[in-house]
Amino acid sequence: MRNPLRSEANAFRFLLYVIAVAAVVVVLALIIQAL
Amino acid sequence: MEAGAIQAGAGHAHEHHGPPPANRSSRVDPALLGMLLFIISEVMVFGAFFTAYFFIRVVQSADWPAEGTELPKLIAGINTCILISSSFTLHWAEHAHKMGNRRGLQAGILTTFLLGLTFLFIQVNEYVHIGFSPQDSAQGTVFYGLTGLHGAHVFIGLTLLLFVNIRAFRGHFTAEDHRGIEVPGIYWHFVDVMWIVVYTTVYIL
Repeated sequence: MRNPLRSEANAFRFLLYVIAVAAVVVVLALIIQAL
Repeated sequence: MEAGAIQAGAGHAHEHHGPPPANRSSRVDPALLGMLLFIISEVMVFGAFFTAYFFIRVVQSADWPAEGTELPKLIAGINTCILISSSFTLHWAEHAHKMGNRRGLQAGILTTFLLGLTFLFIQVNEYVHIGFSPQDSAQGTVFYGLTGLHGAHVFIGLTLLLFVNIRAFRGHFTAEDHRGIEVPGIYWHFVDVMWIVVYTTVYIL
């Protein structure tokens, strides 16, 4: 695995991935709570 | 001939003035390596606080937040957007600098700093109006612990950004030498990543 913090641009890309994953987790959790 | 040898020797000595260069066993730049090691240690600190959080919430099955208290999800959500925006402006500033746009760098870095400052101001304002204190319950302790730890990191990031701002406005950075923007930039993105994890687990889930 390559270091995601090897440059500012890569750290920013890693941040975008984390936002995407967090959004999916929140949506799934809200769906489960609604069921 | 002897005089020439002495002169050559003097020139040679001049080149090697001072202690020998430090051995570098890593291909990674020392400043970047230092920041990476610092971030790794910070991840462990946050891990300790998250352990306390999950212990209370999962192992002890305590209500979250504590009974009779409520977390301001909307205000914290707006604050999250402000902090994430600051990462975008920082990335834009770095990109502008690489393109040779000095005004873009200055505008981007200054905006990043002001957005971070706004985030911290709203966070403090949230503490003032939230209606519970750390000693009220274990949930309160963990809430203030996690968000306060993150707030401290924002403060450190803002201090770094302040120096980047001063240097950017003084024209210290060149297209080749921009490590002074790159390293604080990595730290600022890390602070944002940690907030997304904190906001998702503490406020939303």
